[in-house]
Amino acid sequence: MTLVKVAPPIEQDVDLSKTYDAVIVGSGAAGGMAAHVLTTHGLQVLMLEAGKKLPIEQELRSMQWPYDHPRRGDAPPGSHHLSFNEYTIRKPPYAKGAAFKHVYSYVGGWGGSDYVKNILVDEKDHPYTGSNYAWVRARCLGGKTNIWGRLALRLSDYDFKAKTHDGYGEDWPIAYADLEPYYDKVDLYLGISGVKENLPHLPDSQFQRPSKLNWGEVKLRESLKKAGQVLTPYRAGVTTDGLKHNKYRSKCYGRGACDRRPGGCDIHAVFDSPTGLIYPAVDTGHLTVRPNSTAHEVLVDKNTGRARGVAFLDSVTRKSYEAKGKVVILAASTLESARLLLLSRSPQHPNGLGNSSGHVGHNFCEHVMGPGVTGLIKELVGKPHTLDDGRPGGFYIPRFRNLKDRQPGFIRGYGYEGNSGHSMFPAHVMDTPGFGGQFKRSVRDHAGAFVSMGAFGEVLPRYESYVDLDPETKDAWGIPVLRFHYHFSDNERKMAEDMVATGREMLEAAGIEVVGTDEKVLTEGWSIHELGTARMGNDPKTSVLNQFQQSHDVRNLFVVDGSSHVSASCQNPTWTIMALAWRSCDHLADEFRKGNV
Amino acid sequence: MTDAPKHPESLSRRDMIAATAAALVTPLLQGGAVSMQPVAGVPGKFLTAAEYALLDELTELIIPADDHSPGARVAAVAAYIDGRLAESLEPDWQARWRSGLQAVDGLSRELNAKPFLEATPDQRVAVLTRMAAGEADPKTAPERFFGELKGWTARGYYTSKIGIHLDQEYKGNVYQRGEFAGYDAK
Repeated sequence: MTLVKVAPPIEQDVDLSKTYDAVIVGSGAAGGMAAHVLTTHGLQVLMLEAGKKLPIEQELRSMQWPYDHPRRGDAPPGSHHLSFNEYTIRKPPYAKGAAFKHVYSYVGGWGGSDYVKNILVDEKDHPYTGSNYAWVRARCLGGKTNIWGRLALRLSDYDFKAKTHDGYGEDWPIAYADLEPYYDKVDLYLGISGVKENLPHLPDSQFQRPSKLNWGEVKLRESLKKAGQVLTPYRAGVTTDGLKHNKYRSKCYGRGACDRRPGGCDIHAVFDSPTGLIYPAVDTGHLTVRPNSTAHEVLVDKNTGRARGVAFLDSVTRKSYEAKGKVVILAASTLESARLLLLSRSPQHPNGLGNSSGHVGHNFCEHVMGPGVTGLIKELVGKPHTLDDGRPGGFYIPRFRNLKDRQPGFIRGYGYEGNSGHSMFPAHVMDTPGFGGQFKRSVRDHAGAFVSMGAFGEVLPRYESYVDLDPETKDAWGIPVLRFHYHFSDNERKMAEDMVATGREMLEAAGIEVVGTDEKVLTEGWSIHELGTARMGNDPKTSVLNQFQQSHDVRNLFVVDGSSHVSASCQNPTWTIMALAWRSCDHLADEFRKGNV
Repeated sequence: MTDAPKHPESLSRRDMIAATAAALVTPLLQGGAVSMQPVAGVPGKFLTAAEYALLDELTELIIPADDHSPGARVAAVAAYIDGRLAESLEPDWQARWRSGLQAVDGLSRELNAKPFLEATPDQRVAVLTRMAAGEADPKTAPERFFGELKGWTARGYYTSKIGIHLDQEYKGNVYQRGEFAGYDAK
């Protein structure tokens, strides 16, 4: 038995003379899902991906021991990973003037940078300007799903009808009931691990076998239960029971590799777009994938103003090409799709394609993170070491703020992601003072005795939070780059204070000694959950897309990634991105058949 | 990478057999390939023989052998740090190590009237104790160097075979069959 099946061939020389039913830009969660759904409906699809197809198993090497790597997992000399300090004291473009050969986002600095050096973009080639922002990008087949953090959560009507609930912003043009069947489809097609909790604000999925909570986590869970709060095993987009319909993905073997690295799974038990969506779509015979294709404009018909295809450069040779499609689907990521729309200016669409509302690039939102707490579970000090990290994640404490209560300082809410138990590297070593025999014993005795949790909070969408095109700076391919106009506001800062105070109370109530708190809010962008730059809505004057992620202005243009989200929720977006894309592409295929697009 | 597995499944079988601490570390302890004695007079790839011997001693003082597991010396932490320094493209970082090691000797001369490696074991501990005193808020050159030294020693040690398997008795990075291990809540 081998756990990894050979990938189907991904061509470079594709037939660009023919007009495809749909051209998809991007191969991450959204693009992969669009390809899956449309090819299932029999459409002929061309997918353009700016990056290359990597031999991903060789990149990730999930089971490699640190001592079997010459630099214990670090990238070769000459590579540099931006630090929180650099993101704070400098302004983008962060790699400008850097003495290093390669500069990467902070993600590589998590440890194991050698495993992501070809997945993350080199900031030198991909500058951006404006306000501080930690923009993490992965240009390769599958995009950021190759190192996805795995937390797979549903949104609820507390999110879709948030304006109705508290008066701020806009409601989504859909309700939970519209999306629920598609969440189910995503669960069953890709696999998700978790425990049912029957929460109205965090609906359950069709779960496969959950991972266990360990001793300290159960202690915390029982304590929270008394206060009417919930702690549930990490809802991971990981197939723990296996997927009979997908030959490219193994079930999870509890290797724990996903938490030791910036992410990734070389047997693909964790969802990633190539093995979960793209390879099976290629196997239908209806999908053609062209890597190394940097899209820079959606082309429009001079007479009708409708989309007719995509102009792109070969990322390696830099030659220009055009791909022709009856429908154009953008799935390049929240920020790159907005950039593409803004780049696609024409006499019919002078402000950028699909931008008659002026809302493209605006209402930009995400999650605020950084604040968290660490506690010491005294009962576990000096106990024998156990295998705790062989699971795709620790635990999740769902949102509890502003559901029934009204907080005086802020609206919306946050959830905590947490973890505890033994891991390969004793992370507390640098917080253990001193040196010598006592230091060494203390590190050993305290290993596995800590619980830490950090919050992810909803950032409010605001019209004045936006990106536009920088009039001067261009990327390595000569394409104008994004300029950020984006800052956290008082709501996020007040929420961040509550994250620390409440986390402390939770641990203390469980009899867990708080030994550390993180009070600083990390740089904008740190959560890698950017959303909302081409939001959906019923009113074409205040939104870019309709409820099927279809451009109000251009009927055969769809934007199926996170840019369509009306608000950020505090729940991680990937599962919602895919459920929405599935729903929209079902609708699109239906309209296509009727000749309406 | 040449060591990338072509077939994870075959890797898993190999790992499950190999991953017991004894199997991994026995050759290290028996073979005599790694000496328990301080290195002396052997130049590193970047460091001079004297600097290398000083670093080796410092790492062992930070993470010493005890009745549970060998220390940083047997885990070859100094060689790891020296190797990283040798291939580094950051002259500032290399210079910080060179001047840091000099600062240790300087502090030893100040406290003990002799270089670090000529001092008695108690005197050496006294030097490190002084360096570590400012750990939370380092001010002097030796205090600032202590954080760098300790950080790299810890990274080198706890990513080594000895650190992972013998000291931490790490149980993971294996293909688990059936239920995941870990503590069962019920």
